[in-house]
Amino acid sequence: MSLPTKLHSLKVAVALAAAASLLLAGCSSTAGVQAAAKPLSAKDLVFVCSVINTTNPYFAANIQGCQVLGKKLGIPVEIVDSQGSSQVEISKIQAILAKGKKAVVFVNTVASSDAPTIVNAVKAAGGFVTIWWNKPDNLKPQDVGNNFVAFQKHSGIDSGKCTTKALSTAIGEKGGIIALPGVQDSTTSQTRVAGLKEELTSFPNVKLLDVRPSNWDPQVAYKNSKDLIAKYGDQIKGVWTADDGMQIGAMQAFKEAGMLDKVKFVSDGLYPPTIAAMKANEGNGAIVGETFHRGYMASAIGLYTAYLAATGAIDPSKLPAEKRDSMFKISCVTPSNLDEFLKWDNNVEGWVDQLIKTGPWKTEPVPLVAGGPEIIKPEFK
Amino acid sequence: MDITLKAEHDPMTTDTTAIRLHEETNSRRLRFRGKGEPLALIGALIVLISIFSILNPRFATLVNLQNILSQASLPLIIGVGATFVILIGSIDLSVEGVMGAAGVVFVLLSANSRGGHDLGIWAWVAAIAIGIALGAANGLILTRIKLPSFIVTFGMWFIGLGIATILYGTDALPSLTNDALTTWVSHIAFLFPNVVWLAAALLIVATLVLRFTIFGRATLAIGNNEEIARSNGMPVNKYKVVIFIIAGGMSALAGILAAMQLGAVSNNVGSGYLFITIPAVVIGGTALSGGKGGMLQTALGVLLLTVLNNGLVLAGVSPDYQSALSGAILVAAIVAAAWSQRGRLRIAK
Repeated sequence: MSLPTKLHSLKVAVALAAAASLLLAGCSSTAGVQAAAKPLSAKDLVFVCSVINTTNPYFAANIQGCQVLGKKLGIPVEIVDSQGSSQVEISKIQAILAKGKKAVVFVNTVASSDAPTIVNAVKAAGGFVTIWWNKPDNLKPQDVGNNFVAFQKHSGIDSGKCTTKALSTAIGEKGGIIALPGVQDSTTSQTRVAGLKEELTSFPNVKLLDVRPSNWDPQVAYKNSKDLIAKYGDQIKGVWTADDGMQIGAMQAFKEAGMLDKVKFVSDGLYPPTIAAMKANEGNGAIVGETFHRGYMASAIGLYTAYLAATGAIDPSKLPAEKRDSMFKISCVTPSNLDEFLKWDNNVEGWVDQLIKTGPWKTEPVPLVAGGPEIIKPEFK
Repeated sequence: MDITLKAEHDPMTTDTTAIRLHEETNSRRLRFRGKGEPLALIGALIVLISIFSILNPRFATLVNLQNILSQASLPLIIGVGATFVILIGSIDLSVEGVMGAAGVVFVLLSANSRGGHDLGIWAWVAAIAIGIALGAANGLILTRIKLPSFIVTFGMWFIGLGIATILYGTDALPSLTNDALTTWVSHIAFLFPNVVWLAAALLIVATLVLRFTIFGRATLAIGNNEEIARSNGMPVNKYKVVIFIIAGGMSALAGILAAMQLGAVSNNVGSGYLFITIPAVVIGGTALSGGKGGMLQTALGVLLLTVLNNGLVLAGVSPDYQSALSGAILVAAIVAAAWSQRGRLRIAK
């Protein structure tokens, strides 16, 4: 055989091999889609519960919700501690997906930008995922398919409005307040601040003196509060923080300045130390407003929605838009109605039983109330 | 003719006037550097204070001075340990991990909202011991296995953080229930909070140790030239381990104080302190290459950074611009302060 003939044969062989591999790849990808579309048996499933860290009370409650639901449905639970890092989060989720069992995944994303990578990885592995709190606006569950079951959150704007109303009322609808948002580019923080600004239009004599992002960090909130106390002194009548962790830092700074009983505080989360402070009437009733939503409710709702899709009990493609991109109810808490909300924390298992009975969208006190995405009006940015 | 030519090329007989003049100029610069750089930094600090006082009269009040000094105290305490480490030409990146481990140990062993045992003074001892153990591990791995301090202490950062996370568990945020502990840090005694006096006392002791003891001179000698120090029979490894133990102990103390200040603790109680402290030490004039610098310079560096951050808030600079503006002012202040010392020996690589 001459050299040109040999080369020609080689080319033909390479072309045939390439065509064969493409055909095989096509077959296997079709098989993957078929497998994903077929309802999965509960014994083949594993629950994956991914949180930003394990020490924040909210994320600890996320884990609790996953574990209780896993126990009720008899499905093992794997916890992913992202340690505040997108890279850690994604690599740990991918490692669990590679183990072989079909994953039903709840992710409280570290950053919005993590969502597409996670969703694609779960889809490729034939699992089902619900994302909570953060995703890019242009990533829509309907565009990805059934494996991205839903995106879910509580309204940040409602949270900001709720707490601002309580604060403005408590300071007699006049005087200066300061605001300590979370990380500046966090959507959750931005929507809560938008709610604050929107609600302040109803209280024209309440003046927002300063806004200092405090990174969800009690230490930073403490330091910023000390600086703002030095700057404004007794002009400050109220303090708004985007979560209770920062409220702990802010209250400590005002306590040191001897101002705790003259200033009112509101925040989001109703963490255990906040409940204790409210019940103890600390600082002459310093905390006047909070919101109620729970980490264990979010994770259990998220996982249960994905579980229903995995087992074929719901077909995500047939769900209305608000059940794919969902906002759940957030309740306003004041010292007078605090006790109404404490009953849930004392009976997490009972609440999960209720969730299994009534489904992910109708369970009190966090039923579905609206569809997303949540839009911030330009004037409140 | 031959003799003249030989003289011109013989290194022993070459005219060295130009070299001597250059060396004398350098020597004058070096003599000036000892005082010039701190003076220039003080100048930069005064300029900043003057501008901020004009922008907001509340800046130059006793309340804000107490606030600034209180905020500078923890970075200064960590900075004392970091200065020793940087003076020997090493670096300690484990600060935040050590703070987290010590802070969590301290709160969990004191009277706290999770219950458990209140060990009183032994909570302090246990928390500082954690810091000393992590510091000793840094020093021993560095000297025995001869790994760069950058790598060893970076690993130790996460070991400390891991210990804190395990001990913290997933229960609710533990807060201190003893008011005597939570109010001690900010209690005003003789015009300033207790924590300011504690930091000042540690600064003075460290300054005296560095200047008047064999240990202090050995620290500078190791940083200047470790090989010469070693060939003179100095127990370099022993000194290095002790220095990392001091740094670990200081970070642990800062972790305890941060938890007391907040009245509560989480495993990331030290978050952000590393990147205040190391720049502050270097801005103060302590060379990362080791051998040059001191404690008072570190104190100036810490003050400069604290005044800058506090002043920008009081001046009403928008948070959107604060980061960039703070960086720009800092670079300008350092350039102004270090202008006279930009000699060839300090060229950054």
